[in-house]
Amino acid sequence: MARSLSRKDLRSQPTPSSSGRSTIGSVLLGAVVIVVASALLGIVANRLSPRGIPLLPPSAEASGETPPLALPAGVLGIGLEDALAAFHARSALFIDARPENEYAEAHIPGAVNIPPYSFEDRYLELMEQVEEASTIVVYCSGVECSDSIEVAERLLEIGRADVRIFEQGWRAWVGAGGPALEGPQP
Amino acid sequence: MKGNPVARLLRHPVVGALCRLVLGGVFIYTSLPKVMHPDEFARLVYGYRVLHPDMVNLVGVTLPWVELVAGVFLVVGLLPRSSALVLGGLLALFIGAGFLALARGLDIECGCFFPFMGDHKLTWDLLVRDAVLILFALQVMVWPSGFLPARRRRARPSEP
Repeated sequence: MARSLSRKDLRSQPTPSSSGRSTIGSVLLGAVVIVVASALLGIVANRLSPRGIPLLPPSAEASGETPPLALPAGVLGIGLEDALAAFHARSALFIDARPENEYAEAHIPGAVNIPPYSFEDRYLELMEQVEEASTIVVYCSGVECSDSIEVAERLLEIGRADVRIFEQGWRAWVGAGGPALEGPQP
Repeated sequence: MKGNPVARLLRHPVVGALCRLVLGGVFIYTSLPKVMHPDEFARLVYGYRVLHPDMVNLVGVTLPWVELVAGVFLVVGLLPRSSALVLGGLLALFIGAGFLALARGLDIECGCFFPFMGDHKLTWDLLVRDAVLILFALQVMVWPSGFLPARRRRARPSEP
Protein backbone atom coordinates (compact mmCIF):
# COMPACT_ATOMS: atom_id res chain seq x y z
CA MET A 1 0.00 0.00 0.00
CA ALA A 2 2.90 2.28 0.69
CA ARG A 3 3.86 2.06 -2.99
CA SER A 4 0.59 3.69 -3.91
CA LEU A 5 1.64 6.96 -2.31
CA SER A 6 2.01 9.73 -4.82
CA ARG A 7 5.02 12.01 -4.90
CA LYS A 8 2.74 14.88 -3.92
CA ASP A 9 1.81 13.07 -0.72
CA LEU A 10 5.43 12.59 0.17
CA ARG A 11 6.27 16.24 -0.42
CA SER A 12 3.40 17.31 1.79
CA GLN A 13 4.96 15.53 4.78
CA PRO A 14 8.55 16.61 4.87
CA THR A 15 9.79 14.24 7.55
CA PRO A 16 13.42 13.14 7.60
CA SER A 17 12.52 9.82 6.06
CA SER A 18 10.93 11.49 3.06
CA SER A 19 13.52 14.17 2.62
CA GLY A 20 16.86 13.79 0.97
CA ARG A 21 19.77 16.03 0.27
CA SER A 22 17.58 18.40 -1.69
CA THR A 23 15.38 18.99 1.39
CA ILE A 24 18.38 19.59 3.62
CA GLY A 25 19.77 21.91 0.97
CA SER A 26 16.53 23.83 0.72
CA VAL A 27 16.36 24.16 4.52
CA LEU A 28 19.91 25.51 4.61
CA LEU A 29 19.22 27.81 1.67
CA GLY A 30 16.09 29.09 3.39
CA ALA A 31 18.08 29.76 6.56
CA VAL A 32 20.73 31.68 4.64
CA VAL A 33 18.06 33.72 2.86
CA ILE A 34 16.37 34.55 6.19
CA VAL A 35 19.66 35.64 7.77
CA VAL A 36 20.87 37.72 4.82
CA ALA A 37 17.49 39.36 4.13
CA SER A 38 16.94 40.14 7.82
CA ALA A 39 20.43 41.59 8.19
CA LEU A 40 19.90 43.83 5.17
CA LEU A 41 16.54 44.88 6.59
CA GLY A 42 18.26 45.75 9.86
CA ILE A 43 20.91 47.83 8.12
CA VAL A 44 18.29 49.76 6.15
CA ALA A 45 16.12 50.28 9.25
CA ASN A 46 19.15 51.47 11.20
CA ARG A 47 19.99 53.93 8.45
CA LEU A 48 16.47 55.36 8.52
CA SER A 49 16.09 55.37 12.32
CA PRO A 50 16.78 58.48 14.41
CA ARG A 51 18.38 56.10 16.95
CA GLY A 52 20.57 54.54 14.30
CA ILE A 53 24.21 53.86 15.11
CA PRO A 54 27.29 53.78 12.88
CA LEU A 55 27.97 50.27 11.61
CA LEU A 56 31.68 50.76 12.07
CA PRO A 57 32.16 52.63 15.34
CA PRO A 58 34.64 55.46 14.92
CA SER A 59 36.01 54.99 18.40
CA ALA A 60 36.75 51.29 18.04
CA GLU A 61 40.25 51.72 16.82
CA ALA A 62 42.94 49.12 16.87
CA SER A 63 43.43 48.78 20.63
CA GLY A 64 39.87 47.70 21.29
CA GLU A 65 40.10 49.36 24.67
CA THR A 66 38.09 52.40 23.76
CA PRO A 67 34.29 52.30 23.99
CA PRO A 68 32.76 50.87 20.84
CA LEU A 69 29.89 53.26 20.43
CA ALA A 70 29.41 56.90 19.78
CA LEU A 71 27.55 58.51 22.67
CA PRO A 72 24.17 60.12 22.05
CA ALA A 73 24.30 63.64 20.64
CA GLY A 74 25.06 66.25 23.29
CA VAL A 75 26.51 63.75 25.76
CA LEU A 76 30.23 63.93 26.42
CA GLY A 77 32.42 61.10 27.57
CA ILE A 78 35.28 61.08 30.04
CA GLY A 79 38.10 58.56 30.06
CA LEU A 80 39.56 56.66 32.98
CA GLU A 81 42.55 58.94 33.54
CA ASP A 82 40.44 62.09 33.42
CA ALA A 83 37.87 60.52 35.73
CA LEU A 84 40.60 59.66 38.25
CA ALA A 85 41.99 63.18 37.94
CA ALA A 86 38.54 64.69 38.51
CA PHE A 87 38.08 62.46 41.54
CA HIS A 88 41.40 63.46 43.13
CA ALA A 89 40.85 67.14 42.32
CA ARG A 90 37.28 66.91 43.68
CA SER A 91 36.20 68.82 40.60
CA ALA A 92 33.18 66.67 39.76
CA LEU A 93 30.23 64.98 41.40
CA PHE A 94 30.17 61.27 40.59
CA ILE A 95 26.80 59.63 40.07
CA ASP A 96 26.62 55.84 40.27
CA ALA A 97 23.74 54.69 38.03
CA ARG A 98 23.93 51.02 39.03
CA PRO A 99 21.21 49.34 41.14
CA GLU A 100 21.27 50.01 44.89
CA ASN A 101 22.61 46.59 45.82
CA GLU A 102 25.62 46.92 43.53
CA TYR A 103 26.22 50.45 44.79
CA ALA A 104 26.13 49.20 48.38
CA GLU A 105 28.71 46.51 47.62
CA ALA A 106 31.21 49.17 46.65
CA HIS A 107 31.33 52.44 44.75
CA ILE A 108 33.53 55.43 44.07
CA PRO A 109 33.86 57.36 47.36
CA GLY A 110 31.61 60.39 47.33
CA ALA A 111 29.49 59.10 44.45
CA VAL A 112 25.74 59.34 44.92
CA ASN A 113 23.46 56.56 43.74
CA ILE A 114 20.82 57.47 41.14
CA PRO A 115 19.64 54.42 39.15
CA PRO A 116 17.52 55.34 36.12
CA TYR A 117 14.43 53.48 37.37
CA SER A 118 14.24 55.64 40.50
CA PHE A 119 15.59 58.81 38.93
CA GLU A 120 12.79 61.16 40.03
CA ASP A 121 12.81 60.11 43.68
CA ARG A 122 16.56 60.02 44.02
CA TYR A 123 17.03 63.29 42.17
CA LEU A 124 14.59 65.07 44.47
CA GLU A 125 16.51 63.75 47.49
CA LEU A 126 19.87 64.81 46.09
CA MET A 127 18.79 67.88 44.11
CA GLU A 128 20.80 70.39 46.11
CA GLN A 129 23.99 68.40 45.83
CA VAL A 130 23.51 67.73 42.13
CA GLU A 131 22.69 71.34 41.30
CA GLU A 132 25.73 72.65 43.17
CA ALA A 133 28.14 70.50 41.17
CA SER A 134 29.87 72.20 38.26
CA THR A 135 30.64 68.91 36.51
CA ILE A 136 28.80 65.62 36.82
CA VAL A 137 30.35 62.27 35.95
CA VAL A 138 27.92 59.37 35.55
CA TYR A 139 29.01 55.76 35.49
CA CYS A 140 27.61 52.23 35.65
CA SER A 141 29.20 48.77 35.44
CA GLY A 142 31.05 49.14 32.16
CA VAL A 143 30.79 49.85 28.48
CA GLU A 144 28.00 47.32 28.00
CA CYS A 145 25.53 49.02 30.34
CA SER A 146 23.29 51.90 29.34
CA ASP A 147 22.16 53.10 32.76
CA SER A 148 24.75 55.87 32.86
CA ILE A 149 23.61 57.13 29.46
CA GLU A 150 20.00 57.09 30.54
CA VAL A 151 20.73 59.07 33.69
CA ALA A 152 22.95 61.52 31.79
CA GLU A 153 20.22 62.14 29.24
CA ARG A 154 17.71 62.77 32.03
CA LEU A 155 20.10 65.27 33.65
CA LEU A 156 20.57 67.05 30.33
CA GLU A 157 16.81 67.16 29.85
CA ILE A 158 16.35 68.99 33.13
CA GLY A 159 18.95 71.57 32.20
CA ARG A 160 22.24 70.32 33.62
CA ALA A 161 25.02 71.41 31.29
CA ASP A 162 28.30 69.67 32.04
CA VAL A 163 27.39 66.02 32.24
CA ARG A 164 30.03 63.43 31.32
CA ILE A 165 29.71 59.70 30.94
CA PHE A 166 32.49 57.55 32.28
CA GLU A 167 31.79 54.72 29.85
CA GLN A 168 34.45 52.30 31.01
CA GLY A 169 32.68 52.43 34.35
CA TRP A 170 33.09 50.71 37.66
CA ARG A 171 35.06 47.68 36.47
CA ALA A 172 37.71 49.83 34.80
CA TRP A 173 37.88 51.99 37.92
CA VAL A 174 38.50 48.99 40.14
CA GLY A 175 40.88 47.50 37.59
CA ALA A 176 42.95 50.67 37.67
CA GLY A 177 43.10 50.56 41.45
CA GLY A 178 40.75 53.51 41.91
CA PRO A 179 39.50 54.18 45.46
CA ALA A 180 36.40 52.26 46.50
CA LEU A 181 34.01 52.57 49.40
CA GLU A 182 31.75 49.79 50.68
CA GLY A 183 28.27 50.39 52.05
CA PRO A 184 25.20 52.41 51.13
CA GLN A 185 26.65 55.77 52.14
CA PRO A 186 28.32 58.04 49.53
CA MET B 1 8.87 4.24 16.87
CA LYS B 2 5.22 4.34 15.86
CA GLY B 3 4.34 2.44 18.98
CA ASN B 4 6.35 4.65 21.27
CA PRO B 5 3.91 7.08 22.95
CA VAL B 6 6.65 9.65 23.63
CA ALA B 7 7.70 9.66 20.00
CA ARG B 8 4.09 9.91 18.89
CA LEU B 9 3.57 12.83 21.22
CA LEU B 10 6.71 14.60 20.01
CA ARG B 11 5.66 14.33 16.38
CA HIS B 12 2.07 15.33 17.06
CA PRO B 13 1.11 18.41 15.00
CA VAL B 14 -0.26 20.21 18.05
CA VAL B 15 3.06 19.79 19.84
CA GLY B 16 4.78 21.07 16.72
CA ALA B 17 2.49 24.11 16.60
CA LEU B 18 3.12 24.79 20.29
CA CYS B 19 6.88 24.56 19.79
CA ARG B 20 6.68 27.01 16.89
CA LEU B 21 4.51 29.45 18.82
CA VAL B 22 6.62 29.33 21.98
CA LEU B 23 10.01 29.53 20.28
CA GLY B 24 8.90 32.11 17.71
CA GLY B 25 7.00 34.08 20.35
CA VAL B 26 9.98 34.24 22.68
CA PHE B 27 12.21 35.55 19.92
CA ILE B 28 9.65 38.11 18.71
CA TYR B 29 9.12 39.32 22.28
CA THR B 30 12.82 39.66 23.04
CA SER B 31 13.85 41.09 19.69
CA LEU B 32 11.52 44.10 19.66
CA PRO B 33 13.34 46.21 22.27
CA LYS B 34 16.64 45.30 20.64
CA VAL B 35 15.29 46.41 17.26
CA MET B 36 14.20 49.70 18.79
CA HIS B 37 17.42 50.29 20.77
CA PRO B 38 20.34 48.94 18.74
CA ASP B 39 22.74 51.21 20.63
CA GLU B 40 21.88 49.64 23.98
CA PHE B 41 21.92 46.16 22.54
CA ALA B 42 25.33 46.74 20.94
CA ARG B 43 26.69 47.64 24.38
CA LEU B 44 25.41 44.37 25.78
CA VAL B 45 27.01 42.48 22.88
CA TYR B 46 30.27 44.27 23.61
CA GLY B 47 30.07 43.13 27.21
CA TYR B 48 30.51 39.49 26.17
CA ARG B 49 34.00 40.29 24.84
CA VAL B 50 33.74 37.65 22.13
CA LEU B 51 33.63 39.98 19.15
CA HIS B 52 36.15 42.45 17.87
CA PRO B 53 34.88 45.95 18.72
CA ASP B 54 34.59 46.74 15.01
CA MET B 55 31.97 43.98 14.68
CA VAL B 56 29.87 44.93 17.69
CA ASN B 57 27.70 47.59 16.08
CA LEU B 58 27.05 45.51 12.96
CA VAL B 59 25.86 42.62 15.12
CA GLY B 60 23.85 45.01 17.31
CA VAL B 61 22.03 46.32 14.24
CA THR B 62 21.44 43.06 12.35
CA LEU B 63 21.02 40.31 14.97
CA PRO B 64 17.71 41.60 16.42
CA TRP B 65 16.18 41.68 12.93
CA VAL B 66 17.26 38.11 12.25
CA GLU B 67 15.61 37.10 15.53
CA LEU B 68 12.45 39.04 14.68
CA VAL B 69 12.03 37.82 11.10
CA ALA B 70 12.82 34.18 11.92
CA GLY B 71 10.47 34.38 14.91
CA VAL B 72 7.62 35.75 12.81
CA PHE B 73 8.25 33.15 10.09
CA LEU B 74 8.15 30.39 12.68
CA VAL B 75 4.92 31.60 14.24
CA VAL B 76 3.11 31.92 10.90
CA GLY B 77 4.59 28.65 9.63
CA LEU B 78 6.59 30.14 6.76
CA LEU B 79 9.80 28.15 6.10
CA PRO B 80 9.42 26.60 9.56
CA ARG B 81 12.44 24.30 9.35
CA SER B 82 14.72 27.05 8.06
CA SER B 83 13.44 29.47 10.69
CA ALA B 84 13.93 26.89 13.43
CA LEU B 85 17.43 26.22 12.11
CA VAL B 86 18.25 29.94 12.31
CA LEU B 87 16.86 30.31 15.83
CA GLY B 88 18.41 27.07 17.02
CA GLY B 89 21.73 28.21 15.61
CA LEU B 90 21.40 31.55 17.39
CA LEU B 91 20.63 29.78 20.65
CA ALA B 92 23.73 27.64 20.20
CA LEU B 93 25.76 30.80 19.61
CA PHE B 94 24.26 32.42 22.71
CA ILE B 95 25.19 29.37 24.77
CA GLY B 96 28.73 29.42 23.37
CA ALA B 97 29.18 33.14 24.00
CA GLY B 98 27.65 32.87 27.47
CA PHE B 99 29.84 29.91 28.32
CA LEU B 100 32.98 31.78 27.26
CA ALA B 101 31.93 34.85 29.24
CA LEU B 102 31.14 32.88 32.39
CA ALA B 103 34.25 30.73 32.07
CA ARG B 104 36.31 33.92 32.04
CA GLY B 105 34.49 35.15 35.12
CA LEU B 106 32.84 38.13 33.44
CA ASP B 107 30.13 39.74 35.55
CA ILE B 108 27.89 41.08 32.79
CA GLU B 109 24.27 41.62 31.86
CA CYS B 110 22.64 38.83 29.90
CA GLY B 111 20.75 41.09 27.51
CA CYS B 112 18.28 38.30 26.96
CA PHE B 113 15.03 39.99 27.86
CA PHE B 114 16.12 43.57 28.21
CA PRO B 115 14.49 45.90 29.01
CA PHE B 116 11.08 44.31 29.65
CA MET B 117 12.16 42.23 32.61
CA GLY B 118 14.96 44.39 33.89
CA ASP B 119 18.58 43.55 33.45
CA HIS B 120 19.53 40.03 34.38
CA LYS B 121 23.05 39.01 35.16
CA LEU B 122 24.41 36.33 32.89
CA THR B 123 24.22 33.08 34.84
CA TRP B 124 24.56 29.38 34.08
CA ASP B 125 20.83 28.74 34.41
CA LEU B 126 20.17 31.10 31.51
CA LEU B 127 22.33 28.85 29.35
CA VAL B 128 20.21 25.88 30.44
CA ARG B 129 17.09 27.78 29.39
CA ASP B 130 18.62 28.38 25.97
CA ALA B 131 19.41 24.66 25.73
CA VAL B 132 15.76 23.83 26.44
CA LEU B 133 14.69 26.22 23.69
CA ILE B 134 17.02 24.40 21.30
CA LEU B 135 14.91 21.30 21.90
CA PHE B 136 11.89 23.26 20.67
CA ALA B 137 13.84 24.18 17.53
CA LEU B 138 14.85 20.56 17.00
CA GLN B 139 11.24 19.45 17.25
CA VAL B 140 10.26 21.88 14.51
CA MET B 141 13.21 20.91 12.33
CA VAL B 142 12.47 17.19 12.58
CA TRP B 143 8.68 17.32 12.46
CA PRO B 144 7.70 20.63 10.89
CA SER B 145 4.07 21.69 10.83
CA GLY B 146 2.26 24.43 8.98
CA PHE B 147 0.18 27.21 10.46
CA LEU B 148 -2.75 24.94 11.21
CA PRO B 149 -1.92 21.56 12.71
CA ALA B 150 -4.89 20.02 10.91
CA ARG B 151 -3.35 20.82 7.54
CA ARG B 152 -0.52 18.42 8.14
CA ARG B 153 -2.87 15.78 9.46
CA ARG B 154 -4.90 15.94 6.26
CA ALA B 155 -1.79 15.67 4.15
CA ARG B 156 -0.57 12.54 5.94
CA PRO B 157 -0.71 9.52 3.62
CA SER B 158 -2.78 6.58 4.74
CA GLU B 159 -0.98 3.98 6.74
CA PRO B 160 -0.18 0.74 4.91
